[in-house]
Amino acid sequence: MAKLPVESEKIIAQFGPSLNFPSREPLECRDEPDKVVETHCCFCGMQCGIKLLAKNNKVVGFEPWMEFPFNEGRLCPKGVLRYMQNNHTDRLTSPIKNTPGVGFVPISWEEAMDNIISEIKRIQSQYGNDAFSMLSGVSLTNEKSYMIGKFARTALKTKNLDYNGRLCMVSAGAGNKKAFGLDRSSNNYQDLEKAEVIIVTGANVSETFPTLTHWIWKARDNGAKLIVVDPRVIPLARTADIHLDIRPGTDSALFGAILNYMIRHDMVDHDFIDYFTSGFEDAKDAVKDYTLEWAEEITGAKKEKIEEAAKLWGKASTSFLLHARGIEHHTKGVENVLSCINIVLASGRIGKPYCGYGTITGQGNGQGGREHGHKCDQLPGNRDIENPEHRKYISKVWGIEESELPGKGLSAYEIIEAIHRGEIKGLISICFNPLVSLPNSNYVREALEKLEFYIGIDFFLSETLRHANIVLPGSLHEEEEGTVTTAEGRVVRIRKAVDPPKNARTDTEIILEIAKRLGAGDKFSFSSSEDIFNELRVASKGGTADYYGITYEKIEKNMGVFWPCPELDHPGTPRLWEDKKFRTPDGKAHFNPVKYHSSMDPVDDEYPVILTTGRVVSQYLSGSQTRRIGKLVQQYAEPLLEIHPKLAAQFGIRQNEEVVVTTKRGSAIFPANIVETIREDTVFVPYHWPGKKSVNQLTSGHLDPISKIPEFKVSACSLQPTGKIVEVNKFSETYKSS
Amino acid sequence: MKLFNTTAFFAALTATLITVTLVLLGSRNLQNYDAALVAYLFGTLFAIFGVVYRYSVWIQRPPTKVYLKSSIRTLFSKEFIQCSWFSLKDFVKNILFQSFIIKRSKKKGIAHLMMAFGCLMAFAITVPLTFGWIHFTLVPETGLYPNVENIYTIHFFGFEMSTFPINSFVGFMTFGALNWCSVLVIIGATYFLQKRLKDPGLISTQTFEADILPLLLLNLVSITGLGLSLNYKFMNGKAFEFMAVSHAFFVIVFLIWIPFGKFFHIIQRPAQIGAHIYKEIGKNTGMQVCKHTKKEYTTRLHVTDLKEITTELGFNLQNNAGDSLLEYSPEGKRDLLAIAHLQARQTSGTYFG
Amino acid sequence: MNQYYKLQEEFFVDMQRCIGCKACEAACAECETNGHEPMIHVNYVNRAVTIQTTVQVCMHCDDPICANVCPADAITKDEFGIVHTANTSRCIGCSNCVMACPFGVPKKVEEYDLMMKCNMCYDRTSVGKKPMCATVCPSGALFFGTREQMEKLRPNSSPVNKFIFGMETVTTKVNIMLPKGTEVLKVF
Repeated sequence: MAKLPVESEKIIAQFGPSLNFPSREPLECRDEPDKVVETHCCFCGMQCGIKLLAKNNKVVGFEPWMEFPFNEGRLCPKGVLRYMQNNHTDRLTSPIKNTPGVGFVPISWEEAMDNIISEIKRIQSQYGNDAFSMLSGVSLTNEKSYMIGKFARTALKTKNLDYNGRLCMVSAGAGNKKAFGLDRSSNNYQDLEKAEVIIVTGANVSETFPTLTHWIWKARDNGAKLIVVDPRVIPLARTADIHLDIRPGTDSALFGAILNYMIRHDMVDHDFIDYFTSGFEDAKDAVKDYTLEWAEEITGAKKEKIEEAAKLWGKASTSFLLHARGIEHHTKGVENVLSCINIVLASGRIGKPYCGYGTITGQGNGQGGREHGHKCDQLPGNRDIENPEHRKYISKVWGIEESELPGKGLSAYEIIEAIHRGEIKGLISICFNPLVSLPNSNYVREALEKLEFYIGIDFFLSETLRHANIVLPGSLHEEEEGTVTTAEGRVVRIRKAVDPPKNARTDTEIILEIAKRLGAGDKFSFSSSEDIFNELRVASKGGTADYYGITYEKIEKNMGVFWPCPELDHPGTPRLWEDKKFRTPDGKAHFNPVKYHSSMDPVDDEYPVILTTGRVVSQYLSGSQTRRIGKLVQQYAEPLLEIHPKLAAQFGIRQNEEVVVTTKRGSAIFPANIVETIREDTVFVPYHWPGKKSVNQLTSGHLDPISKIPEFKVSACSLQPTGKIVEVNKFSETYKSS
Repeated sequence: MKLFNTTAFFAALTATLITVTLVLLGSRNLQNYDAALVAYLFGTLFAIFGVVYRYSVWIQRPPTKVYLKSSIRTLFSKEFIQCSWFSLKDFVKNILFQSFIIKRSKKKGIAHLMMAFGCLMAFAITVPLTFGWIHFTLVPETGLYPNVENIYTIHFFGFEMSTFPINSFVGFMTFGALNWCSVLVIIGATYFLQKRLKDPGLISTQTFEADILPLLLLNLVSITGLGLSLNYKFMNGKAFEFMAVSHAFFVIVFLIWIPFGKFFHIIQRPAQIGAHIYKEIGKNTGMQVCKHTKKEYTTRLHVTDLKEITTELGFNLQNNAGDSLLEYSPEGKRDLLAIAHLQARQTSGTYFG
Repeated sequence: MNQYYKLQEEFFVDMQRCIGCKACEAACAECETNGHEPMIHVNYVNRAVTIQTTVQVCMHCDDPICANVCPADAITKDEFGIVHTANTSRCIGCSNCVMACPFGVPKKVEEYDLMMKCNMCYDRTSVGKKPMCATVCPSGALFFGTREQMEKLRPNSSPVNKFIFGMETVTTKVNIMLPKGTEVLKVF
């Protein structure tokens, strides 16, 4: 059973999180590093270029990479301090084994591998191949993502592989596929520069993608009007021309009303709609009753402001619409995305300079990692695992019979549910911390404890991995060569700066070794990351995400290549749809009818307040990296409950008073931060913290029926002040809360 | 600032004359004076003149005068007892053990401590010698026979103090003390020197005359001084003359340099205690609350005095309403600028472009 | 030293662009001259009512009040107009400069009993590089470059280096971007 060997405090004392601070003594070696490595930040989907300085096999600092075209040296605090994850005392440097009553004890690779293989074989022979599942993550490079897809299907022979992009990109991906037949931001961000109107919805750009701010500000310098849709006055909204402070979960109502307004006032591009799209009439019909008054009632945003926004958008000649998890983390995430795409298609402003649309990819390789078979229903090149043609092609590339290729498996949260039900008995996870990042974390914990055998691969012992039976020390971002695909669809090179320390190995070596021992060595005889990439190129050829024409050399020469790039002499595609040939079966862009539905956990008398979640600029996702970097932790030390003064007064809540927040899943305590920058009916808590400080104890496991993304953004809650005023300070130990 | 400061000149002259008088008294009208030290004496007198002159100029500047005034005021107030205990603690902590430097960096702190102790001890030994206040005589009878241990008598201001045999511990320490000082200074100064050659932060901001030269000088003084002893002991006095002259040269350059260069900080440093006392007694006047952040940020006394200092220096930070900018905390002042900037942008109708 | 200091490059600040991310603060601490203490300030203007943040580097005044009120002569201005941080051997930690600076820039590090402040990344600018903060700033709130570059990037703004505080007019080396045509900003 995958339970903690000893109480978590003991594990924390040994494996962290502990904080890494730079030495006060100036580092003499920075002046004369052994290597200056041009690579990218390991965090968000912007994948900013950065140079790492390495000395004696340690990353000792960074230098801005001024030439990289997206960020030209610009970074956010996470990027500046990313080098502090290297040379960290918490780093796993040997395989460790969960020994009840003792803790995690180091063992040899040989012993670890023997144990792993025999348990995989035991579980699979006893309960069937699919009873062993795999969860992965998209901080991994394209090469590793591809290899893991292949590993799960051909070595582990399970259908149940899914990834943490399930919490990130799947709603946008499904929406884009429905509408365009292809899942990628339509434009690179340079197209923001001269857009007349920009809509940013459900994207706290300045905290989650800080370096993207530059391009939005640049547009505004050129006179662009900015419309921000968010329940909070986020930094971008403060100076926006229009801020639509809608109620969480009412995005499709807003965009439905805007579409209706555009149609009624003839602000649509008839030619574009007639020639290049289908489904307009159905979409029009779906929103015909969505008046501004109705929208005001549903969304809570003033109808005058909605009208102003609709006019700006309707009349613009160039524009860009950006969205992120704010509209996607819903049981109607895909619908929300489609409602955005509808107003873009109605405007006809796509596939032209400065006319853009795109979701902002959250994770480092959230784009590339969702294209090459990492998902339960997908094969490389963004192929469909249930499409016979696609199966045939990939089976050929992999050298297997099509019948051997498993079918569609369960999605991430469904895997947890299946474990909870006792249907899945084994798990191997890499680069995923579901105990912090999935909703309803107490339920997730119960599930993990039911596993018969749990193998983890990671560089730090994350909160989830404390449940593992065996943990293998994998590699950091800067310890392996590879490529990632940025939020713009630009494939860039990740370069190795140092070797894994001591007894740690690269993720690739580990996966190859397990594959070999499972008897699939012939399919995993790669000698380098480039080798894997070259197979990926072939596997993706002919798919929508076609990488065939991309090589390491080409990427290095051009500082990135935008896919699709089907031929070696193809320059790549920074802007999609210039040819108006969409990748849907009929070659047209599809309008989709979107009706507004309420969220799955609506407010009522018992739970009268909307709880929504999100991020802060100094932390990244489940925090297993950023909660170990001292200065980032100090910047925002513990999750606060943002609440409007009127709502606070209603509940008698004072500044810095601890408040019990309760939902149907459970309760948690957070200090109140009373601010006027949030709706009066909504409270906000960021989610990067574990244990008792995790807001995901409260969020629900309701999933979008299409994308299977959990509804993080809307939960009904009640508030109860405790009467205890606390000092919120940067020396809080919340980063390691258990 | 005026080029010539009369008050400072007379203060410096007085200090120099007093020193000369004390030299005459201490050496019994030069009767006990070691003529070999006369060059050092002139160097020291020059240093005294320079230091007192600069110190007086310094103490007359508005911001410094505040400390002088407050110190004198404290001296005659009921807070005196509280302050003396506080200053004693502060002196031991920050001047003697220099804990504030050790907190900046352990290695740096220890190196500085070695350098400082080396220098201060050397001063304590050489100044009385140079002034002729102390001199040693050989007890004549012990000098007559080669197999009898030499015994020395120590004189202070012409009075016989005590005697000690040369091979005793006291003898070893007395005649070897300067060598030990040299060793301490060499280790400390060399540490700093190599740091200044390697640390990119220091390299970018240092200058030769302000930062490198003083360290070189300390090393040269110590090495030539140490050389004198070694020369005497191991080389039978060969090149002694050369060593003596070069040592004297570097020491005199060092002395003359004190009032002008980096070494003046040795004289200035005790003002730190003054600043601490000022902060302590300031608390008795209550804390100033920032008009914007509504948080306390310094003592009321500090704000009142700063208003006076800035006015005296020719800065008028009062607005028409009679409010002073000094009543805002640093954070409050940054916010004021941001608010003014926001207003300017809002009035223009656009934040960007 | 100093030989590569690019006199034609200037510092431009526009605090309305600031998004409060503190990348500048993290990067500032990387500067070799300040031992991992950030010298730049980013703070909320009034968090209870607005998300507005402001960012403040040393403005490098032509006649720096900080240097004038220093009792220890620890603050000096060099030939390039850079007002340097306190000389570590002289500073007595009195905080006069901290309280008198009209821009709220100098910072007293209590532990070191020392004032520290921005020296425009002297270790970088003196060898022809841009200051860390302005290099990493993702919002353009901090920008280091030539006047011509700035004019091209932001044609509707003017760099202003004259500020009114009460009866005092302070001129600075660092510019703040204000609406086109503005010549002076009255702060207080």
